[in-house]
Amino acid sequence: MSVAAIGADAHGHVDQLYVETRELRLQGFLLFLISDCVLFSSFIFAYLYLRNSGQGWPPPGIQRLDVAFAAWNSVVLFGSGATMHYALENFKHGNFMKYMRFLLATIVLGAGFLGGQAYEYNHLIFGEHVTWWGSGIFGASFFTLTGMHGLHVFLGVCYLTVLVLQSAAGVYTKGKFFGITAGTLYWHFVDVIWVVLFSIFYLI
Amino acid sequence: MAVAAVHSGGIAEHIHPEPQGFVRRYVFSLDHKIIGIQYIITAFVFFMLSGLLAEAIRTQLLNPNGGFVAPGTYNEVYSVHGSAMVWLVIIPLLTGGFGNLVFPLQIGARDVAFPWLNMLSFWIFPVAGLMLFSSFLMGAPTAGWMEYPPISLQGAAGTSMWCAAIFLVGVSSTITGINFVVTILKMRAPGMTFTRMPLFVWGQFATAPLLMIATTALAAALAALFIERQFGVPFFDPTKGGSPVMWQHMFWFYSHPAVYIMILPAFGIISEVLPTFARKPVFGYKLIAFSSMAIALLGFMVWAHHMFTSGLAPFLQLPFMILTYIIGVPTGIKIFSWTATLFGGKIHYSTAMLFAIGFIGLFTIGGITGIFLAAIPFDLHVHGTYFIVAHLHYVLVGGSLMGVFAGMYYWFPKMSGRLLNETLGKIHFWLFFIGFNCTFLPMHWLGMLGMPREVATYDPQFTFWNRFESVASYLMTFAILIFFVNVLWSIRNGRRSGPNPWGARTLEWQIPSPPHYYNFKHIPTVYGLPYDFSQPLPYKGLEEELTDSPPPVAAGVH
Amino acid sequence: MVTAVLAVLAVAAIVFCYTFPLERYLPAAIVTARQVDELIRFMSATGSALYIFVAGYLVYFAIAFRAKASDAPDAIGVQIHDNRKLEFWWTVIPLLFVLVLSIVSVRIWYEILLEPENGLVVEAIGHQFYFSFRYPQINGEVTDEMHVPLNVPVTLNLTSADVIHGFWVPAMRLKNDTVPGLVTTIRFTPRLAGRYPIICTQFCGVEHSEMDKQVLVIEDKASFDRWYKGWQQKNARVSNALPGASGQAISLQGGDAAAGKALFSQKCTACHKLAPFNQTLVGPGLEAVLHDPAHPDLVNGKAANPADVASILENGYTGSMGAMPSASSNGLSPQDIANLVAFLNTLK
Ligand code: HEA
Ligand code: HEA
Ligand code: HEC
Ligand code: CUA
Ligand SMILES: [Cu+2]
Repeated sequence: MSVAAIGADAHGHVDQLYVETRELRLQGFLLFLISDCVLFSSFIFAYLYLRNSGQGWPPPGIQRLDVAFAAWNSVVLFGSGATMHYALENFKHGNFMKYMRFLLATIVLGAGFLGGQAYEYNHLIFGEHVTWWGSGIFGASFFTLTGMHGLHVFLGVCYLTVLVLQSAAGVYTKGKFFGITAGTLYWHFVDVIWVVLFSIFYLI
Repeated sequence: MAVAAVHSGGIAEHIHPEPQGFVRRYVFSLDHKIIGIQYIITAFVFFMLSGLLAEAIRTQLLNPNGGFVAPGTYNEVYSVHGSAMVWLVIIPLLTGGFGNLVFPLQIGARDVAFPWLNMLSFWIFPVAGLMLFSSFLMGAPTAGWMEYPPISLQGAAGTSMWCAAIFLVGVSSTITGINFVVTILKMRAPGMTFTRMPLFVWGQFATAPLLMIATTALAAALAALFIERQFGVPFFDPTKGGSPVMWQHMFWFYSHPAVYIMILPAFGIISEVLPTFARKPVFGYKLIAFSSMAIALLGFMVWAHHMFTSGLAPFLQLPFMILTYIIGVPTGIKIFSWTATLFGGKIHYSTAMLFAIGFIGLFTIGGITGIFLAAIPFDLHVHGTYFIVAHLHYVLVGGSLMGVFAGMYYWFPKMSGRLLNETLGKIHFWLFFIGFNCTFLPMHWLGMLGMPREVATYDPQFTFWNRFESVASYLMTFAILIFFVNVLWSIRNGRRSGPNPWGARTLEWQIPSPPHYYNFKHIPTVYGLPYDFSQPLPYKGLEEELTDSPPPVAAGVH
Repeated sequence: MVTAVLAVLAVAAIVFCYTFPLERYLPAAIVTARQVDELIRFMSATGSALYIFVAGYLVYFAIAFRAKASDAPDAIGVQIHDNRKLEFWWTVIPLLFVLVLSIVSVRIWYEILLEPENGLVVEAIGHQFYFSFRYPQINGEVTDEMHVPLNVPVTLNLTSADVIHGFWVPAMRLKNDTVPGLVTTIRFTPRLAGRYPIICTQFCGVEHSEMDKQVLVIEDKASFDRWYKGWQQKNARVSNALPGASGQAISLQGGDAAAGKALFSQKCTACHKLAPFNQTLVGPGLEAVLHDPAHPDLVNGKAANPADVASILENGYTGSMGAMPSASSNGLSPQDIANLVAFLNTLK
């Protein structure tokens, strides 16, 4: 039974079934985020472990990271977190057009972040010192973690695009917008992970 | 529609449309009971295969110089045996199998929270299982179920297949875990407070977070090993700056909690069987429930006790030793409470009860040797020997597998409406009990005296006991064969059980066997613990369950 | 009554554990081995006493409280739910026991850790599938046996050249893994002369089970010195030979390629594919070993020719990829070798 199929009755009351389904899904989704978080944590553990087991960091012969560029790129991502927040708020308050605009902004910023990441990868791989996935523990942990994060952003962008289409088709109503809530949660989650990744790769 | 009005038609009252057609009913079923049975059948098929591998191990070890299979093949055999028994047999049986089958009934729910996800996690499992076994076609993994690199990096192509297969089982477990947590948190019948949940539910409730969290950590490790093997991305290879010890941390951070995934639900089964057949409330309900949670929590803090020999700094090892000892305390509480449950009872010796009592006797041996292993100086002697093999089979076969058998004899009527044959059951029990002890007890001294594990050939001084074990393991095989015969025979010819053959008091026994697809006609209200035999049943709203009246809302929602 | 019987049994078990002649079965070759034995005695005594009580009451209750034929079919047991006092004590007593056990095991562990630091240094290096040893303080030549003098503290540094192995001497009650890229140390003082097996306890490849053929020799200082000197002389003589080379070329006449082919699939495919050289399984791919100009020199550094392949098959070879077993450990007769070479020669 899809959520959309359970319509509110003629008086605009949301039925009990929907409310409870939403609660279940919310909880399930939060638990999913927790286990996703464990996935990242394990790789972060691996990175920190390798970093501390070796002969000093970063290992010689790798391309240095461009911290300033990555910082700007992070700002783009965090900006998208803010726009996503406003999108949800506006939807809740019934400002549909504003909601759509913020949602589209989020998508653009998310895609922008991905573009920045692609630029950065390009710089590393074809830079002065070739630094790629297989070329040492730095490449292994950096590309695995940021790649995994990038994949999350990419999936998020796809999902938000679906949200745009669905919203345009009127799937979400004032009482029923779990899809948007989930998207927001997910997007914030991806942001928070990036805070951690940025700190451990660029700052320490 | 009267009931629907009372409960305002929420999800608890929601009844799925009755599935139509064979495929929707039995293959791609959304019904937690059918999914549970699917898990059980699939896992038992894998059990036969990995049991046959176990017998191949024992046949090889009849002679000190082996000779049954080539050494390389032998390594494949025990690696797949260990992996399959853990990931394709015990974990699916206890969580996806009995978990799905029983606990939604026990909390008075009509299904789990996410039936679609439930179906998905089931269907991942046989696929992953076939992948694991198909690795034999391309050179199965040889480095044991823990696949320590760097040797696992040298392993044949099947090792990557192994990674992928276990990864998939992990995905399936994670989904199941999420599903179960939400179900237990949100779908309990009115009045089913946490302190009124049956202990099997508590067992699942303690296990589900482990499934959810620990398994994801394993997924990361497997992904890293896979990409290292396939794409040469260095994580573990020391010649490229990686660290083999890091794998051990990542692996055991999952696999120690995993051993509790394999035992906590079995504890739950025992806690159901004992009071039912002793006709007595389970002793110390709250402490049993609480200790499951304590074990699950402590289970995350002891993983390095598998790594005492791998060169960790001593000050890091010390807390692991002591925390591991401490796990003995909550486990002890359970053992003592179960023993006390028998005191003053009127014990009926059904086969399920025999297995439950056997479980306590055998698991305690494995648990105590576990405490021995936690003592670093002792572990430095026996790590990597048959003493470990003895410990792990006492807890896994004497514990988890005995728990599975207890659960099968106990809940088989709920699955099929028929009883398993008790005479065959008792033969099964005694042969298994004797065969088991004779197979695994001598391993303790073999290990102490110098027999390493994972060897295809061994020092001739150990010949006698190895032959003894092998012969005893054939007896065990025979016992299990009887069990399978019993199941196959009883499905068609077993005595009809009626709804509640054991006079048990948890909710699943108050409805027909097998239950209707919607479980309950009316969601009952609970006002007490199920285990108090001197009181009337603590449920309201069950009056119509055993009558022919149709469920009230079936037609309404759709 | 039952308690008394169980107490007697428990005392008997304790006495048994403390009097069991463990060293008759497993000599205690180093000083701390006897301490570990103390721990084993303590744990098995307390463990079995505990178990006797748990299992004893379990069996006793199981028999005493069985439903009897005279009981009504719906008779129920005594409805006891819990007992705070009992539950308190069976939480607290095990906790106290854990405390005692921690103290006992930490004490013994410290005995092991605090063995003297500056003893005779021995390096043990794990290989697929043997250990080699070095004595850097003497002159650092690689030996294939481990000897240590009696009563002299030893510092044993463990590492590995390929994969993880476990270095275990049961008579020492001590082991540690040899991890590539990591040096781990165990220290001990030998106390009992003798020859004690060294066993590998981490799975390390097809021949892991064969990795128990070496011994630790504990002997007095004079014999130790004599041994080391002898080793130096021997080593000087054979230093450039292949390990274990017999010097006698195998006759390759009459090799039967068909028999070689069958044998290859039994004995070699665990490690070699019939694929180009760089398709490594354990050893290199062997497609056209003898005829492929692109095939690099053989592992022993010579251009590929049948005689050298035969020598590799006979003597085995350990190089950067790992270890190729010798004819004796792979169970190959000279005729087998001839057949295999004939077969390899047909691969073009
Ligand atoms: C839940 C887990 C589980 C279970 C149930 C078992 C069950 C058994 N195990 Fe296993 N075992 C492990 C988990 C388990 N094991 C693990 C994790 C390892 C470590 C692996 C490693 O080192 O990596 C191990 C290793 C291991 C070893 C050590 C190998 C070595 O180190 O060299 C041995 C040796 O005896 C062994 C024996 C057995 C035997 C005899 C059984 C018996 O109890 C099996 C009995 C079952 C049967 C015999 C099936 C009977 C089926 C039929 C009768 C049906 C007939 C068939 C058809 C119709 C198709 N096991
Ligand atoms: C179901 C699975 C299961 C369970 C429940 C356990 C339970 C325990 N295990 Fe076990 N273990 C395995 C499965 C399991 N284990 C496996 C598969 C391996 C091998 C992996 C491999 O290498 O292949 C292993 C290996 C293993 C090791 C590593 C050995 C080595 O490789 O060197 C250690 C070390 O500490 C250990 C300890 C323990 C302890 C302390 C418990 C405790 O939880 C036990 C607690 C129970 C009791 C203590 C008994 C009852 C209590 C009382 C009667 C009260 C009084 C007692 C005290 C207070 C002491 N286990
Ligand atoms: C235990 C695994 C193993 C087995 C079994 C094995 N080999 Fe090898 N073999 C190796 C390894 C490893 C090497 C490479 C040694 C090195 O350079 O490190 C090798 C090298 C060789 C070489 C030299 C290849 C070259 O191109 O330089 C030949 C020829 C060879 N093996 C033939 C055989 C034959 C024939 C058999 C069967 C009788 C066999 N091997 C069985 C592991 C094995
Ligand atoms: Cu070396 Cu096993
Ligand atoms: Cu453990």
